[in-house]
Amino acid sequence: MLFCFGLYGVLAKKNAIAVLMSLELMLNAVNINLVAFNHFLYNQTYDFNGVKHAILTGHVSALFVIVVAAAEVAVGLALVITIYRNRLSTDIDELDWLKW
Amino acid sequence: MNYALLAPEITLAIVAVVILAIGLMIPKGPHKGMVPLTILGLLLTMGVTGGQFAANVHGTFLNGMYYADNYASFFKLLFLTAALLVVLSSTEYVQKLPAHRGEFYALILFAALGMMIMAGSGDLITLYIGLETMTISFYVLVAYLTEDGKSSEAGLKYLILGAVSSAVLLYGISFVYGLTGSTVIAEVASSLGSSISPAIILALVMVLVGFAFKISLIPFHMWAPDIYEGAPTPVTAYLAVASKAAGFAALTRVFLIGFQQQVYGGSPEVVLAVLIAVTMIAGNLMAIPQKSFKRMMAYSSIAQAGYLAIGLLAGDQAGVKAVLFYAMIYVFANMGAFTVATLIANAQGSDQIKDFAGLARRSPFAAAVMLISLLSLAGIPPLAGFVGKFYLFSAVINQGWVSLAYIGFVMSMVSVYYYLSVVKTMYMEPGEGLPKIGLGGASKFTLFVTMIVTLFIGIYPTPLAQMAISAAKSLIR
Amino acid sequence: MVDNFGAIGIILIFAILFPIVMLAIPKMVAPRKPGKEKETTYECGMETRGETWIQFKTNYFLYALVFVAFDVETIFLYPWAVQFRKLGTFAFVEMFIFIAILLVGFWYAWKEGALEWK
Repeated sequence: MLFCFGLYGVLAKKNAIAVLMSLELMLNAVNINLVAFNHFLYNQTYDFNGVKHAILTGHVSALFVIVVAAAEVAVGLALVITIYRNRLSTDIDELDWLKW
Repeated sequence: MNYALLAPEITLAIVAVVILAIGLMIPKGPHKGMVPLTILGLLLTMGVTGGQFAANVHGTFLNGMYYADNYASFFKLLFLTAALLVVLSSTEYVQKLPAHRGEFYALILFAALGMMIMAGSGDLITLYIGLETMTISFYVLVAYLTEDGKSSEAGLKYLILGAVSSAVLLYGISFVYGLTGSTVIAEVASSLGSSISPAIILALVMVLVGFAFKISLIPFHMWAPDIYEGAPTPVTAYLAVASKAAGFAALTRVFLIGFQQQVYGGSPEVVLAVLIAVTMIAGNLMAIPQKSFKRMMAYSSIAQAGYLAIGLLAGDQAGVKAVLFYAMIYVFANMGAFTVATLIANAQGSDQIKDFAGLARRSPFAAAVMLISLLSLAGIPPLAGFVGKFYLFSAVINQGWVSLAYIGFVMSMVSVYYYLSVVKTMYMEPGEGLPKIGLGGASKFTLFVTMIVTLFIGIYPTPLAQMAISAAKSLIR
Repeated sequence: MVDNFGAIGIILIFAILFPIVMLAIPKMVAPRKPGKEKETTYECGMETRGETWIQFKTNYFLYALVFVAFDVETIFLYPWAVQFRKLGTFAFVEMFIFIAILLVGFWYAWKEGALEWK
């Protein structure tokens, strides 16, 4: 659901910053998936030297995804700023200097 | 845990950070010391990786989350070669950029590091980290010319499309995790067994779509021509060669180890075959009317991705060997062509095909290298490209996909047409009033290496084929 | 299984209906008297002046960017800090390497002038 909202946002939004926000939505959908699967389906523990440890693959993966997403958005915003400096607009539709 | 297995990655990471730091310490300006340093670092890493390859190291650690085998080493050597050639060919180009610092080289090294992680990863999340290390470096590299609106526009487009594709890939990965309870590729395979369900197909399709973006299979190719045109020319070369190979490295491992029983012999195989056929046909046909050289090469690289994916479709040892072999010679052929394009862009500030007019007179050596590289890409017999295509097509015919090999063959004939139109411009048209092309030492060396390798492998392919076989054996036993 | 999702379905229906009802009640009950005071954006407090779409200085964005990047990296410090005693010396060294790499990035931002307010 959230993933589809995000995908819709990326495809339909005109402002570059809104597109980046939609991207975040998609990645957060993934995070929720990972954490939920870990919690509800694979809530297991294993013994290590007699101590119980939970298996947290999903949670740890979500951490990695958050960090990578932040890095990506930081680069994205930096690019939006350079483009804004060049042509004083952050409108995606105006990015037509390269045509296919 | 055995850290010796990680030696190539650790070496490269240290080199990249040191180069970034050195770039900060020395004052601004065109400092020439960076290039030899970068090359030294790359050669060092290549030495370490080559040593591992020769010793036939085979190890996994962290419960199979990371592999150090010949398959990974082969791809690591490929990425490092590509990075080396890019650094060499871009020396003069980068000197001309305003506000030049060491970060260009550091970014190239970080991208190579990401690719190496992709090639070695045995875990889907590790793979994703490697992928993002690579693509984030590429976003910055593509938008490196901040003054040039085209470059930053290409960067933003690449970022949005690339991020969407990795989000789709990641969503697929999260489903795989939900279905199997593990993100380690080998465990995924053992947990899935031969079972197949709509959920598995959905996850598989998402993973395939994510990767198809990275290797630009049609219909997920829209980004390629725009980004290739807008990016600085050496970066375009790096993007076309190395990031594509990295996508293949990871995709092959995921498909052949993780989803072997789901992909092959079922409907996903047919979907892949259709994608490949469309990619080969449309990629080659759309390349024909292009006026910009970089755009033409973009469509040509889409078509080449189609050829490479044929080996993936074959999905056996011969197929993997063919992919490895072709990816390696593709590096040399493409780098040769793009180095010449970089020279032209440097001298004339443009990359239209008509700017190549009279190159045979202005710089006979560059024109000759271009000719050889393009013919190798088209797959004309005495050159390396022919041998590579021969391996690919014979591998897929052995698996019963004769029609696909036939399409590939016909489309290579079509590709000769547009490659030769560049050659015709270089040799037949006078090109009055265009400047002479001066060759610097580094670019001359790059051109020389690419030409020799392309010719040599075309005539005597055995050594590289042996390497590719040994690498393929380490993946599929 | 079905019971679990049944609960979610009930919450969903309730969540959709509740705001609609809450918006509908004042519409029907409350008297309508539009006036100058009512039309303003905020009915109390200072009067707003000028455009709301003012431009921030780009330096502000640079700060924000550096903040976003480094702020999220600290996420890795939390699990490490919680399990610090159990993990031992090796993890300690590892975390120092991680922080050293981050510091190189920070140094880069500093040198490039992202932290100067011009």
